[in-house]
Amino acid sequence: MELPTLQDLNLAVTLPSMGLALWACVVLAVGLFLPERRRHWNLVLSLGGIVALFLYNLTLFDLPADRQSAFLGMYRADNFTAFVNLIALVTAFFGVLMAYEYLKRTHIDRGEYYPLLLISTSGAMLMGASGDLAVLFVALELLSIPLYIMSGLRRPNAASEESALKYFLLGAFSSAFLVYGVALVYGAAGSTDLSEIFHRVNAGLILDQGLLLAGAGLMLVGLGFKVAAVPFHMWTPDVYQGAPTAVTGYMSVGAKLGGFAGLLRVFIVALPAVSGAGDATGWQDTIALIAALTMILGNVVAIAQRDVKRMLGYSSIAHAGYILMGAAAAGSPDVRDFAVSASLFYLLAYAFTNLGAFAVTVAIEKDDATNPQLDDFNGLSKTRPVLALAMALFMLSLTGIPPTAGVVGKFFLFQAAVNAGMVWLALIGVITSVVSAFYYLRIVVNMYLREGPGEAQAQRSFLGVAVGLAAVGTFVLGVAPVLFLDLAQRAVLVALGG
Amino acid sequence: MIINGETIAFAVFAIMAIVGGVGVAALRNLFHAALSLLVALFGVAGLFVLLAAPFLAMVQILVYMGAIAILIIFVIMLTQRVAGMREQYNRQWILSGLVALVVFGVLLMVISQLGTPENAMWNPSAVAATLPDDAGVAALGADLVDANRYVLPFEVAGLLMTVALIGAIAVARED
Amino acid sequence: MEPAPLNISAYVVLSAILFAMGALGVLIRRNAILVFMSVELMLNAANLALIAFARFYNQMDGQILVFFVMTVAAAEVAVGLALIVVIFRTRRSINIDELSRLKD
Repeated sequence: MELPTLQDLNLAVTLPSMGLALWACVVLAVGLFLPERRRHWNLVLSLGGIVALFLYNLTLFDLPADRQSAFLGMYRADNFTAFVNLIALVTAFFGVLMAYEYLKRTHIDRGEYYPLLLISTSGAMLMGASGDLAVLFVALELLSIPLYIMSGLRRPNAASEESALKYFLLGAFSSAFLVYGVALVYGAAGSTDLSEIFHRVNAGLILDQGLLLAGAGLMLVGLGFKVAAVPFHMWTPDVYQGAPTAVTGYMSVGAKLGGFAGLLRVFIVALPAVSGAGDATGWQDTIALIAALTMILGNVVAIAQRDVKRMLGYSSIAHAGYILMGAAAAGSPDVRDFAVSASLFYLLAYAFTNLGAFAVTVAIEKDDATNPQLDDFNGLSKTRPVLALAMALFMLSLTGIPPTAGVVGKFFLFQAAVNAGMVWLALIGVITSVVSAFYYLRIVVNMYLREGPGEAQAQRSFLGVAVGLAAVGTFVLGVAPVLFLDLAQRAVLVALGG
Repeated sequence: MIINGETIAFAVFAIMAIVGGVGVAALRNLFHAALSLLVALFGVAGLFVLLAAPFLAMVQILVYMGAIAILIIFVIMLTQRVAGMREQYNRQWILSGLVALVVFGVLLMVISQLGTPENAMWNPSAVAATLPDDAGVAALGADLVDANRYVLPFEVAGLLMTVALIGAIAVARED
Repeated sequence: MEPAPLNISAYVVLSAILFAMGALGVLIRRNAILVFMSVELMLNAANLALIAFARFYNQMDGQILVFFVMTVAAAEVAVGLALIVVIFRTRRSINIDELSRLKD
């Protein structure tokens, strides 16, 4: 057996995800010895690691071809991975920042939160980088298991515990679908390596087309659960409502990012040649249908919600639908590159916006373990004008109104759908966006036009920093998208042998 | 079909797996359901042996039956007073049954497709009678830690165990 | 010389039966432990299919995947059962909590 050299392994490019997991262990070990009054070191160390890896990750764009894979194909270090890493690190940054004071005032300041969040983030990054179905599967679990635990952190609060159990059971159920899908795809193609599967499908060397399709379908079910796509969304509102708010905020972006990174990676790198009608690949219609249902259901049901976290839960379902529209468009070969970059750009826009919205929700949450309601926003513009302004910006962005990140992202996604010949899907997207204005703007109305106490937590805080940074991100992506669009455009997935 | 030792063994283990599976899905008594999970797991372990995976059959018996199933039984014992030993099906059991039936129908349809002439899976002679030289426990172990193969998921699986350890303590610790 | 192996598809059909039974169990059961046991059954079905395919292709890859599935199952069982136990504890103690809170 010939041993590969360290250079073949190319460990350096795996540093963003693997380094984050390693750093999580450091944070965990240090956290054990921190006395009560030095707990802020948890925050400092976590943020330090995230920022350092973020900067390092910037150097990983446009690597030369011979450095684009590590562990000999198991890990893909292309621009897609680098961009997913970018979004994941942003998400982790906000997840840590908005949790710090929240954990203290809800008395769940357990040291485990930070390492768990970092490891979960590294799982999301690894999903986007996976070059093999085995990596995809363990990465999915690495993303999910910490999230189950974090959802239940607010014990002995019954809602938090139930949310954790529900998330766990449905997560395990969906993993079982994913594994069975992997098994069938392996049975059809005789390999779990994504490029190898692509080559065999392309060359017609697979055992059976039906087996491959069934496997792909089951994997779609498993990943659909993760990203909360209809009809696999049932767990979302309950889990979002019961989990600690800071965790919900992190989960709403982190889990979706991992799910979509894995979904795009598998379906575009390994399975693009699954035959379908015309030029398009076989799975395009299925994903388009799921996207349509997800957009419609998420937006319509969100209207009826009074609980802010539950509403944002349905809103996150709706946004999964928009991103799925991009994934469906990527099924057409000539639109693929544009659709992938549109989806990635939207994920980044959604990360800033949604994390900002959750940071504000954390700020208005009372300490008495009740969930924030829409009426809690009443009169916020009088008591906390800056916070209200930021929240208004996030709501505009979620609706898709300029000058925000959301509108630019949606524009690209609609354009991708139209270019792929799915005008009907883009139309549904536009119509549901108009519907969504109803519930997003209700918060703005409550803040600016209604009278009320509109209380919020202390002003000068890490939470305030999180809100501010998210607002800046949302605004900058909205007025100067070119800065990130260039990166997103380069982050296309190419189905070629590694 | 030729009746030989392997067919008989397959039949026995398959019946164990199916009977156990029915027990898990349908038995009303929690404890009985857990015991039938053990039966199903043992049946599957037997099938592993027939499929030339004796090492994984041992792991199945040690990890699944020895650790996981026993842990489940412990938790049943711990919680039975609240959960009750008996359990009702939930109200949408007809719908649930339909969903499961559809899943099974689709899978069966797909798998029976494997019998077409160009597919070899129905044909025993397509399966190599002898295993390659690099099969066996040594190969499995080498592949897991071979940097050319599965060392990355192997490391990640180790990380996963760490997370589970931290998580179980973080969840269940009384403070 | 080993005996000629059985049809691989017999094993795959069996694994489909087990998978469907597991899915049925998850959907019709209400008790968290039983739901979890049904998930284990589904994972076992996937393992059986993987090993059957590995035998068919005469490769180790399928067996290695099974190894990972088992690891993940062990991790899940640790976390899941901890959650079940802690919920049991809270539900039994929740009333006591409320009573003491009402008193002060």
